[in-house]
Amino acid sequence: MSETEKTAFEPKIVAYVCNWCTYLGADLAGTNRLEYPSNVRIVRLPCTGRIDFNLIIKAFEMGADMVVVSGCHPGDCHYTAGNYHARRRWTLFRDLLETMGIDLNRIHFAWISAAEGKKFAEFITEITDKARQLGPYQAYREICE
Amino acid sequence: MIEEIRQTCRTLLEAGTVNVVIAYGQSNPDGPVHPIFVTKPDDVEKIVWNKQCFANLTTYLTRKEVKSLGKAAILVKGCDARSLVVLVQESQVERSDVHVIGLACEGVGEPELAGKCRVCEVHMPVGVDVTIGSTEAAAPEGQNRYALVDEFMKKSPEERMAFWKQEFERCVRCYACRGVCPLCYCNQCIVDKNRPVVIDTSATLKGNFAWNITRAFHLAGRCVSCGECTRVCPAGIDLRMLNASLAQSAEKHFNYRAGMDPETPPVIGTYNAEDKENFIR
Amino acid sequence: MARIGVFICWCGENIARTVDVKRATEEVEQIPGVRFAIDYKYMCSDPGQTMVRDKIIAERLQGLVIASCSPHMHMKTFRAAAKAAGLNPYLVEMANIREHCSWVHQNREEATAKAVELIRLAVGKVIQDKPLDAIKVPLTKRALVIGAGVAGIQASLDIAEAGHEVVLVEREPSIGGKMAGLSETFPTLDCSQCILTPRMVETGQHPNIKLYTWSEIESVDGSVGNFTVTIRKKARYIDMSKCTGCGECWNKCPMSKTLNDFDYGLSKRKAIYLAFPQAVPARPVIDKNACTKLKTGKCGICAKVCAAGAINYEDQDEIVTEQVGAIVVATGYKLYSIGQEQDNEKYTGYGEYGYGKYPDVIDALQFERLSSASGPTGGEIRRPSDGAVPKSVVFIACVGSRDPAKGVSYCSKICCMYTAKHTMLYKHKVHEGTAHVFYMDIRAGGKNYDEFVRRAIEKDGAKYYRGRVSKITEENGKLIVRAADTLAGVPVTIEADMVVLASAMLPSTGATELAQKLKVGYDEYGFLSESHPKLRPVETNSAGVFICGACHGPKDIPEAVAQASAAAGKVQVMFARNELTRDPEIAKINEQNCAACYACVRTCPYNAIEKAEIRDRQGNLVKMTARVNPGLCMGCGTCVAVCPSKSADIDGFSESQIYEMIKNL
Ligand SMILES: Cc1cc2nc3c(=O)[nH]c(=O)nc-3n(C[C@H](O)[C@H](O)[C@H](O)COP(=O)(O)OP(=O)(O)OC[C@H]3O[C@@H](n4cnc5c(N)ncnc54)[C@H](O)[C@@H]3O)c2cc1C
Ligand code: SF4
Ligand code: SF4
Ligand code: SF4
Ligand code: SF4
Ligand code: FES
Repeated sequence: MSETEKTAFEPKIVAYVCNWCTYLGADLAGTNRLEYPSNVRIVRLPCTGRIDFNLIIKAFEMGADMVVVSGCHPGDCHYTAGNYHARRRWTLFRDLLETMGIDLNRIHFAWISAAEGKKFAEFITEITDKARQLGPYQAYREICE
Repeated sequence: MIEEIRQTCRTLLEAGTVNVVIAYGQSNPDGPVHPIFVTKPDDVEKIVWNKQCFANLTTYLTRKEVKSLGKAAILVKGCDARSLVVLVQESQVERSDVHVIGLACEGVGEPELAGKCRVCEVHMPVGVDVTIGSTEAAAPEGQNRYALVDEFMKKSPEERMAFWKQEFERCVRCYACRGVCPLCYCNQCIVDKNRPVVIDTSATLKGNFAWNITRAFHLAGRCVSCGECTRVCPAGIDLRMLNASLAQSAEKHFNYRAGMDPETPPVIGTYNAEDKENFIR
Repeated sequence: MARIGVFICWCGENIARTVDVKRATEEVEQIPGVRFAIDYKYMCSDPGQTMVRDKIIAERLQGLVIASCSPHMHMKTFRAAAKAAGLNPYLVEMANIREHCSWVHQNREEATAKAVELIRLAVGKVIQDKPLDAIKVPLTKRALVIGAGVAGIQASLDIAEAGHEVVLVEREPSIGGKMAGLSETFPTLDCSQCILTPRMVETGQHPNIKLYTWSEIESVDGSVGNFTVTIRKKARYIDMSKCTGCGECWNKCPMSKTLNDFDYGLSKRKAIYLAFPQAVPARPVIDKNACTKLKTGKCGICAKVCAAGAINYEDQDEIVTEQVGAIVVATGYKLYSIGQEQDNEKYTGYGEYGYGKYPDVIDALQFERLSSASGPTGGEIRRPSDGAVPKSVVFIACVGSRDPAKGVSYCSKICCMYTAKHTMLYKHKVHEGTAHVFYMDIRAGGKNYDEFVRRAIEKDGAKYYRGRVSKITEENGKLIVRAADTLAGVPVTIEADMVVLASAMLPSTGATELAQKLKVGYDEYGFLSESHPKLRPVETNSAGVFICGACHGPKDIPEAVAQASAAAGKVQVMFARNELTRDPEIAKINEQNCAACYACVRTCPYNAIEKAEIRDRQGNLVKMTARVNPGLCMGCGTCVAVCPSKSADIDGFSESQIYEMIKNL
């Protein structure tokens, strides 16, 4: 793909976020009018504990170029421990994906609290830029053809 | 050794200690070894024990038809004993309900020893009610149980992806891997769920990726590397690599190995507040 | 085909400025399942909501998507509107096109496209929404109060006065807490016992209060509205129903060597003892570690002299259970132990101050007893070593507080005040003496507080030095206090007769264990966490459990009492209803499919899932399954993610709903 095509490319980004921290962090980014690229689609779930790996795979199947998973910082989960359980699963799952050769640059995990509107906006800006540079996730799209 | 096995089983059946023995049988000497369910003392003569006894019989412990036969005795190799531990941890089997006959095992496969047997650490099964036979065989010193994965990981991500594409392209979705795995005991597999469809059921590359990722991950921290899935896969897909990779991950990050110790809580569904998280922002 | 109505809000210019609402409305109308889309200036306004209600009825809608602000802002509003129009409130979804769209994007094209996409996702979800009914939970209108210091007493009396039964559990032999041992209290210098004792008596006699002293909480089961509390009544060796509190026993008991904890070790007590003269209940207890009868079988004098026959050496701990609907925790505080022995390895103590080594270095609560009319010296200030009246007393503030290296990083908040009080109490009794105070800052925010400190300095002549004491040594019977006066910039050395350490306030022993039983959060020090520091200060994240007093953080009596009344108020609000309703967005398990692997049981942060059996009519076991207790499930969905067969699912965020959303990506 040529450079110009790459810059013209607008990636599809799916963010699975918990209702109590990251969703509110994104709300705060809004309240503070912090601008970020419009590519991200936020899917609100109760807790990171609810976010399972099938959702990540499904997002790629639906043509996502990047997937974000984000919730409360350790110790802050609204349900006390959902994020601890989630963290364990992600640790293992990432290793599986790595073995499969799935590009780990396409999946990002973050703790973003309800107070971190700025972190949310910066994080989304940064990964959107990255996704633009990476270009379409051709490898998974080919799988899904 | 076979006589001792048969005698032990006969005694158990005669005394009524168990109603059925889950064992290996062989219809003709050159034919394949298959599981048999011996309920009559005289039938113990049908039991065999040889290099073809690959099957992990613990798979049958969770089957309705087998459960309906009553209290069971089962023959296990060292590797099979580990899956039994997992089954007990996961409330599928009540340990006191089965009589476990451990078999000293120098490895299966002829002329060539099965891969898993070359690195086996449990030639003498542990956690069994009785062990038959003895062996001096031991795991090779300083072996790396994940050498296979380490070697594979030397390839670039693109090469790895290409490899799996090639592998999964062949998957015919026969679910033989699921059927043979002692730890795939769900009443209804997620792949058979149609509201919503989580995993595409068609044997397309897309569906096959989703299926194999799912199955591998459902065995994360659970697979005991008995190797059965890989052995039965008609497409010859290298499933053990995925399993080994997850086993390595569980050991590396959480110092956990499935089926080694019934007292250690499983790796999924537990946590430590100090678990590392260097990949999370 | 579903009949979904989409309502797109302008939010004045907030949304309309960046999102082309008209165009979005047209595009959204094309989404399959959408009956119509309509836009309006302020959807949340009265006319906006009226329109929503009218449309629900006129178009016989099966679901709504409100595209406006964050669901955290107005989900409740629109659910109520739906309900008013006869549509199940859980058939409402929101697309957040303000916070997540118009406010964060400038480009009108992009923002409009994104708004349409967000609405598309929400339409997907709403199509899979199912009507849900709020869960009704029966309510036991009885409250448990744990800890009977001034906070626990206040909360109990308030709830009891409102007409509800209270179970009050105190682990000491008497109620009263720390306040019962204080001398006079800032900022008014009224006598602590004079104001507390009547309330203690009232508590002891209140027909609605069931008192368990010398008792502790073993376990707490159940959930809001219906807790089952198991209480251990520790063996007291006294039959409370027979004892008249006459005092013959403790007068005659020959064992008098035990340090009296009510006087913080400044006096001795008998093996059978009354906690303090005004104790409620006014009944003794036998210290099994001190009583010779209990240790060796010899003695038995108290039983001989007890005319009521109330002594029972065979007494055993007793376990009782109580049913309550709400719980108030008021377990208070303790002081940082300044000696070498610490109950937390992080706290390294202040060996350099010689506490425990020099008898005349005491802590602030000991000083309260020394200056209390009911204390070991009858209210005369006499130092512990030789009973002499100290002519020079050094008070050191912030011992352990604001010192992350050796103690805690927070300010204990009350030490500045009671230290000023101590100098006054001292000066009022020892007119010729000098009170020296070493402090870091004077923190005296509060009504009449700063005036109080000024009085101590200006009227009673307390000498204040800003600076830390580095070391205390003993020379010729004097305590040599070395410090720096950082304001004057000079080193100071004072020869003192007595030193009083204002040590940090810590949560009482066992607070975190109790918090775990109650599933209440706590901070790194063990102070219990409120649900929201501003808006929900006495609630906790464990529904039905409230906190008040010093168990939540350092505080003085007025604050502890105000919080106690607030907690009692919350309990009464709860008890004003006849049953509780809960959000129905909780987990459930397809029991036929469940493989009974119990990964979910292990995972659930609320222990809301139990192992259960399915039996046929004849009572034969069909299969095992996991089962959610709807009273305990909080709806996190962690069980769904670990369930391999997806037999666990969660209403409101079900697999069907989420996959339908993603399909629309
Ligand atoms: C030296 C000093 C002087 C002070 N002077 C003043 C003053 O002049 N004016 C003022 O306003 N404030 C003063 N205070 C502060 C005052 O003591 C507290 O604000 C007040 O006592 C807090 O009351 P509470 O009920 O929260 O805690 P506490 O008085 O500590 O009561 C807690 C009660 O709970 C019980 N308990 C603890 N754990 C359990 C358990 N697990 N199960 C059952 N029961 C349990 C304890 O035994 C105790 O009876 C002073 C404090 C100190 C240290
Ligand atoms: S056994 Fe092989 S071919 Fe059959 S479903 Fe499993 S991986 Fe696919
Ligand atoms: S996944 Fe394969 S190797 Fe692992 S336990 Fe199951 S059958 Fe055995
Ligand atoms: S949703 Fe959360 S709280 Fe409810 S049963 Fe599942 S894991 Fe437990
Ligand atoms: S995790 Fe799923 S299959 Fe296992 S017990 Fe829970 S609901 Fe049943
Ligand atoms: S609620 Fe945010 S991670 Fe659990």
